[in-house]
Amino acid sequence: MTNNNDFGHGLSRRALLGAGLAGLGVNGIRLAGIPLALGHAAQAMAADAASKDRILVVVELSGGNDGLNTLVPYGDDAYYKHRPTLGIRPNKLLKIDDHFGWNAGMTGFEKLYKDGKLAVIHGCGYDQPSFSHFTSMAYMHTASPNGGDPYGWVGRLGDGLQPTSTPNLIVNIDVAQSLAVQSRVHVPVVFDDPERFKRKGSFQELRQLDAVTQVANDANASRAFLREAAKSAVDASALVREAWARYRTPVDYGILPLGLSKVAALMDAGLPTRLYYTGFRNNAFDTHVQQPDLHGRLLTYVSDAIMAFMRDLERIGKADQVAVLVFSEFGRRVPENANQGTDHGTANSMFIIGKQVKGGHYGKPVNLTQLDAGDNLMHTTDFRRAYATLTKGWMGYGDTAKVLKGEFEPFAVFG
Amino acid sequence: MRKIVISALLFGCAVLAGAVSHAAQDALADDLTPISRQDWNAVRAAHLLERAGFGGTPEDIARFTAMGPAAAVKALVDFSGAAQADANRHLLPFDESGIHDPGLEPFPAGRPAATDQAKATGEALGIKVKPTGNRRMQPVVDKFFYWLRASRLETDRLAYWWANRMLTTAAPLQEKMALFWHGHFANNEEKVRDYRKMKRQLELFQAKGTGNFRDLLIGAAQDPAMLAFLDAGVNVKGAPNENFAREIMELFTMGVASNGVANYSETDIREAARAFTGWNYQDLSFKENADKHDGAVKKFLGQSGNFDGVQVIDLILAQPATAEFIAAKIYRYLVREDVSDAMRKQLGAELRNNRYELAPLLKKILLSRDFYSAPSMATHIKSPVELAVSTYKKLGLKEVPGVPDFNDATGALGQRLFHPPTVAGWAQGKSWITPGLLLERGNFARDLLFPNINFLPPDRYNQDETIRIVSSKIDQGQDVSTATKPEGKGMGGGGEAMQSMSTAMADRDEDFNTRYGSFRGWQLATQKVKPIPRRPAQLDLAGLVRSQKLLNATQVVDYLLARFIPLAVEGADRARLVDFLKNELGTDDVQQAQSYLEEPLRLLLHLIMSLPEYQLG
Repeated sequence: MTNNNDFGHGLSRRALLGAGLAGLGVNGIRLAGIPLALGHAAQAMAADAASKDRILVVVELSGGNDGLNTLVPYGDDAYYKHRPTLGIRPNKLLKIDDHFGWNAGMTGFEKLYKDGKLAVIHGCGYDQPSFSHFTSMAYMHTASPNGGDPYGWVGRLGDGLQPTSTPNLIVNIDVAQSLAVQSRVHVPVVFDDPERFKRKGSFQELRQLDAVTQVANDANASRAFLREAAKSAVDASALVREAWARYRTPVDYGILPLGLSKVAALMDAGLPTRLYYTGFRNNAFDTHVQQPDLHGRLLTYVSDAIMAFMRDLERIGKADQVAVLVFSEFGRRVPENANQGTDHGTANSMFIIGKQVKGGHYGKPVNLTQLDAGDNLMHTTDFRRAYATLTKGWMGYGDTAKVLKGEFEPFAVFG
Repeated sequence: MRKIVISALLFGCAVLAGAVSHAAQDALADDLTPISRQDWNAVRAAHLLERAGFGGTPEDIARFTAMGPAAAVKALVDFSGAAQADANRHLLPFDESGIHDPGLEPFPAGRPAATDQAKATGEALGIKVKPTGNRRMQPVVDKFFYWLRASRLETDRLAYWWANRMLTTAAPLQEKMALFWHGHFANNEEKVRDYRKMKRQLELFQAKGTGNFRDLLIGAAQDPAMLAFLDAGVNVKGAPNENFAREIMELFTMGVASNGVANYSETDIREAARAFTGWNYQDLSFKENADKHDGAVKKFLGQSGNFDGVQVIDLILAQPATAEFIAAKIYRYLVREDVSDAMRKQLGAELRNNRYELAPLLKKILLSRDFYSAPSMATHIKSPVELAVSTYKKLGLKEVPGVPDFNDATGALGQRLFHPPTVAGWAQGKSWITPGLLLERGNFARDLLFPNINFLPPDRYNQDETIRIVSSKIDQGQDVSTATKPEGKGMGGGGEAMQSMSTAMADRDEDFNTRYGSFRGWQLATQKVKPIPRRPAQLDLAGLVRSQKLLNATQVVDYLLARFIPLAVEGADRARLVDFLKNELGTDDVQQAQSYLEEPLRLLLHLIMSLPEYQLG
């Protein structure tokens, strides 16, 4: 149904894709004259053979999603006491058990949960929570609460999975690169509109702009790196544009696909990407005022897009290889405010979704009767346990300390 | 004279190309003894200007070449003398828009705090609650958003002011080190929410950035922007907040560990936090609340006493790890990413032996043979701000162009002044580059050389679609509730489809409307904040080529490569550029193409600035 594009052009897509893939990651590339394929092989042997094809997709909900009105604890009287007008009545919910129900628009999540493909990680947070979007999101990105780090946890996971620079290992669908994917080793592919992932230039300049000279054994490592990035830009931008141009799907991603149809397009085109990062941008979930209709819509879009993505993965034969993490920088204040909205809060649920996921509840649900001095939830789960579930439990990368700067016990979401 | 400069530059490139290929065994590397006058040349002078400043024109480079290494470094480091002050008379103070008023202090923590205060006292932000009627607190909310928006726009102007200083100052190291400290003591206006505090902090970095690190550290730790950024106000006796103490140790002084050994424990952090209790700010001043300070005994880094914040800082400064951490970070910023253990120790000792005076360390680094060794030369990946300012510098511009917008352009490349991504600052080096960002760097050059005729000034044309929609609905006479009904941002579907859902809503009775406040905030801010001048770059590449008496395409290409790229571009790359220019000129004879030179030259320069090598300095 969804026709993502109908632009055509003169180049041979098959030829371009084939050439691009051969040059990028599949056969290995050369950096500073060292054949990387050997390094990759050694690394691959070290990693769990079963997890080497596995892919992680992170979906960020920016602005602080109201977790209490996402998966509603309708069995808890305290919820309705704190939210006399915003509390969603039980008859309006998509109940999954005698305590919890999804926000009415989330039929996709309801189905995923009932099919046992959605794990709820309750009460994710950290000590001394920050109420700043910026700060709390940075903590989430770097997995360094009350600290700082120049690299993100997804980037560090990439460094762990592939210790040498690997093209297209990490893809970030956004206008600017997220701190979460900032990597010491790799050059993440960052784009928003595939059609704009290219150089501006007059017609007569274009061939010149795409020409990148590769020099073997360049003693200037920075120049070698830049040429590698330039080559990757030429190849990745063409690959991405080609993949998107070729991609057709009967699956309806709804009003806002959250970049997930682009992720599916790249997977379908066979990119060697292991880590995808996308999200709902622009602080959309910052629902201080007139929350109910807006929040319901936002959640519907998220649920629709992720459900569609799961269907699309099934269609292209990748469903067994993909797990999705859904998170936000914080939850919202438990009591509603005076503007039919909610203010910045603390602990929140995270969701892990995928065909290989053992669905259900993980972690201890938050207690709505024991709030902190600021009427906020006390977290029950260090959010890095959810990350560890994905880095170790799903991607099979065992050095949790390297990625998360500490040991965190994974949940048994993947058996 | 100019001819000599060119040939010196071209010759230098050849020398450098030779040097680069022997990088691994360069004897100068890791050698901190000063480089000799005999080893001084135009390429090295250019390198010094690039790293200790933002690059130079051929004329600047010729001047520094003639000075010799010792005098050149001295001129850059000892910039506070009378001669430099005279040379900097053209630098004007920041031209304030005048957006602040006393009613804004103390600025509430958030909109809810502002309206709570208004509810409780009948007034907030210097605005009284209306006695009767609908939305009695609306003017308070408008004022709240006014300040957020106005401070942000003024911060963008402040960034322009700073960028212009970087471009035109006679003391470039002052600005270069201010930029370093801005990334080190990294505060973001989005959280500080007061351009005046950001300006004060910048002035601290400019005044003390090459002075004594202890003064600078205490200044930064007691700086209102820093205290606001790290929530110092919540660090009080009995309920210490560790955030501030942790950042001081982890990011500003020691680092977590040296060679795998922890420099401090969690207990040290807790104890230091107690020593910092009571540190706060009032408007633009540091304020110590004695009644909130924990005066009892603390155990910190193996010592015990009833330390206060400054004493804790002195204990931190006594650690060799601190001097090494700071010296190595400066080295990585000015020289190269990889710092050997021996180098780290030597530089740390240099800083500590000089009682944390920064100038001797800077001189040592900038004069060292290591600084001019192959691994150091043309290996630095420029930060977005360095890239933009050095581009303008090398073009000989006298002002930062208004198109493209400096803040949007550098922000799109990952470095917006006064908006570092986290308290850890910007990751340097390779982290500046993604394939997309590399394309974007080329696109920046394109926007500079061919200014977009559809350019909309971001300080006038509102970037937020929601606000634009609210604005037009209010203009069309819609009531506030209807006009502000959320449509959601970037949700597709467009305004029309969503609008039908909301038109039935009557004007709601409420204390205030936040979305309307946001719109009014922008409106009021735009009325007060002075616009950023939007003159595109005043370029005359044809005039440049004429003045250099360049006769054919090869000479033009070689001249521009030498002027803009710090290492040799040869072989196929150079040949392609020459062919391109010949093609665009329709001849190899520059004289013959005299009347239509400018556009082909701009296209050529765009190609040069799109080369991977152009990112290096």
